[in-house]
Amino acid sequence: MNEFRIIAESVSKRYLHRPKGTLSNPGKRVRGEPPLALRDVSFSVGPGDMLGVVGANGAGKSTLLRLLGGIGRPTAGSIRTHGRIGALLDLGGGFLGDLTGRENAMLAGVVAGLLRREMKARMDEIVAFAELEDFIDEPVRTYSTGMMMRLAFSVAVHTDPEILLVDEYLSVGDLAFQAKCGARISALRAAGCAIVMVSHGMDQVRKLCDRALWLKHGEVAAFGAADVVAGLFETEMKEETLRRTPDGPRRKSGGGLELVPRENRFGTFEVEIDTVSLHPGPVIRSGGPMGVTLGFHSRARVAAPVFVVSITREDGTLCLDTSTHLARVDVPDFVGEGSIRFTLDRLDLGAGSYFLDVGVFESSWTHAYDYHWHAHPFTVDGATEHKGLLAPPCRWEIGPALQRGSES
Amino acid sequence: MATAPGRRWRHGLDVLAVLTSRDLKAQYKRSFFGFGWALGGPLLQLIVFSTIFQNVLGSRIENYASFVFIGVLVWGWFQGSLGQSVGLITGNAALARQPGFPLSLLPHVTVSVRFLHFAIVMPLLVGLLWWQGIRPTSAWCALPLLILIQYLLTVGLAYPLASLNVLHRDTQHIVGVLLQLMMFVTPIFYSIEVIPDELRRWYYINPVVSLVQSWRTVLLDGQWPDPGVLGILFSAGLALIVIGRKIFIAQSHRFVEEM
Repeated sequence: MNEFRIIAESVSKRYLHRPKGTLSNPGKRVRGEPPLALRDVSFSVGPGDMLGVVGANGAGKSTLLRLLGGIGRPTAGSIRTHGRIGALLDLGGGFLGDLTGRENAMLAGVVAGLLRREMKARMDEIVAFAELEDFIDEPVRTYSTGMMMRLAFSVAVHTDPEILLVDEYLSVGDLAFQAKCGARISALRAAGCAIVMVSHGMDQVRKLCDRALWLKHGEVAAFGAADVVAGLFETEMKEETLRRTPDGPRRKSGGGLELVPRENRFGTFEVEIDTVSLHPGPVIRSGGPMGVTLGFHSRARVAAPVFVVSITREDGTLCLDTSTHLARVDVPDFVGEGSIRFTLDRLDLGAGSYFLDVGVFESSWTHAYDYHWHAHPFTVDGATEHKGLLAPPCRWEIGPALQRGSES
Repeated sequence: MATAPGRRWRHGLDVLAVLTSRDLKAQYKRSFFGFGWALGGPLLQLIVFSTIFQNVLGSRIENYASFVFIGVLVWGWFQGSLGQSVGLITGNAALARQPGFPLSLLPHVTVSVRFLHFAIVMPLLVGLLWWQGIRPTSAWCALPLLILIQYLLTVGLAYPLASLNVLHRDTQHIVGVLLQLMMFVTPIFYSIEVIPDELRRWYYINPVVSLVQSWRTVLLDGQWPDPGVLGILFSAGLALIVIGRKIFIAQSHRFVEEM
């Protein structure tokens, strides 16, 4: 067995765009050389290793995966791979809607390098893994995205790859299936498969990968232990949100404070939160219900954003932080106006002044669309019998011995 | 890890089989008559050509219906294959992006799919011949060779066309127009006898002319086709397929980038 499955040495890639004019639309001649999609990228992946590739959109992650798969050649440098390559590059891209799941699976397996009889022998296992027993003979056009993803993933991991290239994949699917994928990935790694995965989820990178490679404008910004690289990347992304926050008019928020971009309001404003209303009002009784309704709009279609609500005490102590992502609520793609409501059945906080922070983020948390920080103050009153952060229902009961003592 | 050559061939055949069946299913799955539609086109052409040219224009060729049908079928396979091959790479982007996928098999898939369309109509042709009083002769043994030659020639031409279309999308339109033109300079519904001698040798640049004639020699006259002509066609087909495949493979790493 080779010491490494993948060795990339100073890989650079330049896509040649030739001036592509047509008669009816003569293209502008591009002067000078087009920029490098990848510049001087070196790394190696050994058997059983898992490398996470992180970076902003257009940083060259997909280009790198393709080159590793032997699709296209590097402009400079070299890539050497040892072993059969399996790939999940585009989600169900090779699937034909009119064919059944079984036919598509057979097709995908044979295209990935297995013989027909080998695929037939594994078909039951593949179908069972994808949990599609009841649908496998239905046309794929009736499948949901999640079902297609499960089928494609199942085929890919059952073709005995020695190198597996995964582009943004494991983030789809429910929790149980993700756990199963994780187990299968561990099994593949134990068998000596090297995995390279592009991911936007830093938690996933931390959990699954040994090492991570951060690409920035085609160059390696960091390469090392997954935890460290993921942390560096997250820090940079927060600054990126700050930088991308456009100057905009100040405006009043529902609660009374003025919203000032880059001071208490951050984001790209692709989705804007227009109204934040508190129920029953800006003063909430301790132990009573609390509701938050966000009214928002977006000019262009936005894919599955994540809404966030958090409550902070005046002194900065975080009391509650939750999101549609954590609560596993799927926000549909939308355009135009909409609203979302968050309800707390009981607000068991001690009396005092608090801030409600609300935000809406890009579906994989790459940046904020709109985030209102400490812009919506509210007061909790009542609960005079407590001090401290929490004010849950509570009572004192005096033990029987003490009661007898008071009688005498 | 080197895979055994036996497995590579086996896998190549399996890829050919699954992709051919994919193409057929994708084309016919949701239609009631399914693959039966493959009969529709050739039948319509047969009816149109034989009524117009025989009854209206008064063609004096013997067994005119079979004569036309042979031309329509041989030409149909050739035209269908090349017309579809042009868009092979551009229409199979997902396959082109699959690591290790043998892209050079794609022209074989298209030509095989069109061959099946050709083969399903054959019983009809044989029936027509029988009805016109023509019985099989030993010369019919030459038919598999004719099919092989046409297969080689078509795949050989498909390679450069498919590669060219990735870089220059005009290719598919040019090929469409050229195929239309070629149909009229191929003696499908007329006999090559009507072409003046000085023009006729130019006609033979078109390999389909000799192929159609060979089919007619075998089926209508019951004679063996000219071995010299077949030898030339066979060599040309072999050369085209070898060179075309080389060019195609040398270019194939560029395909993905151009899409």
